[in-house]
Amino acid sequence: MSNISAVKQLSDEELASKVASGSQSSFEELVSRYSSRLFYFLRHRFKTDQDIEDLIQETFLKAFRNIDRFNPELKFSTWLYTIAIRQAISRFRSEKKRSTSIDPSPSPPDPQEIVIQKEESQNIWHLASKLGERQYEALWLHYGEDMPIKEMAKILNKKPITVRVLLHRARLNLGKRMDLPIASGKIAGTTPAAHKFSFL
Amino acid sequence: MMRRSKMFCPIYKWKISQAMDSGKTISSNVHKHMRRCDSCREYAELCTSLKPKFTQDKQAILEDFDESLNKKIMMAIPERAELRTEPRRRTLALIPSLAAAITVLVISVSIIFLSLPRSKQTPPLGPISTLIRAASPENVLLKVESPLENEYTELKRAFESTSKFLISSFDFRIGQQAK
Repeated sequence: MSNISAVKQLSDEELASKVASGSQSSFEELVSRYSSRLFYFLRHRFKTDQDIEDLIQETFLKAFRNIDRFNPELKFSTWLYTIAIRQAISRFRSEKKRSTSIDPSPSPPDPQEIVIQKEESQNIWHLASKLGERQYEALWLHYGEDMPIKEMAKILNKKPITVRVLLHRARLNLGKRMDLPIASGKIAGTTPAAHKFSFL
Repeated sequence: MMRRSKMFCPIYKWKISQAMDSGKTISSNVHKHMRRCDSCREYAELCTSLKPKFTQDKQAILEDFDESLNKKIMMAIPERAELRTEPRRRTLALIPSLAAAITVLVISVSIIFLSLPRSKQTPPLGPISTLIRAASPENVLLKVESPLENEYTELKRAFESTSKFLISSFDFRIGQQAK
């Protein structure tokens, strides 16, 4: 029991070092700390929860196999998120090649689902999930994980300035969805700067 | 005038975003603009309110998360033994590349050695090099007595003693008769 509480007090990097020396309980702690966070980070990229769960499983497996390559001087979260996003990209590519089937038409939602959706919609992350995949991921890393721009750039494999623009546009679009007056007029997409970054 | 200030709103908003991301304070000219622009003021307020809102709502969504996924992940994790084979496998995989590197190194060193110009004059020999020279195989072989030479010396000695014996027995003297 005391071992479990001791494990809970350790930092992610310390836990990773312990996993490298063979501690299964440390790995379990890392899984419990990160599985839900990875789930909400990746949910934009996949259609079903099952797909996300499979990907999280693959991510942790890869992290476990390569834990001795992890440098404890760096942040564990950056390392794990980088693995996750790379796995997601490679999976997305392989699925894109395979997929030929047409999606079935969506069934009408039942009343209980509508109530849940209403409750969910009050959560800002629900609003954020309606933004583009990259903007949502940038918001998650910045606000959810409290990551600096530099680390976000590493994970998203982009330049820091691109990440800044992503965040800026995400905030503008979020304001639009929250019906703030910032959405009035032509804010996003009409300025030269917006044209310049239209690839985002 | 109002229309003109609205024209620059995207730039001011970008500046507000920059200030938020870098943790710096908003500059005075942006403040000046915000005083008369509702849109930019609202945007700045939104930016400052986002962090606590996101943090609070993150807790709410994470609490709803189904923990059964953690068990699934732990079940999928292989035994530690499998993990331990990984570094060994990696070390074994390094051996061919290491051998190739050594070979390349040896070849390049010998090429450099052969291609270097050497002076025809030999440097003056020191006492140690003199000793080394004296101990060279050629010199050693010269000093060793060959069996042919031994035979030759033996024959020479036998011939000399025979001739002395014959001289003493017949007692030859030039210009005199034997007794």
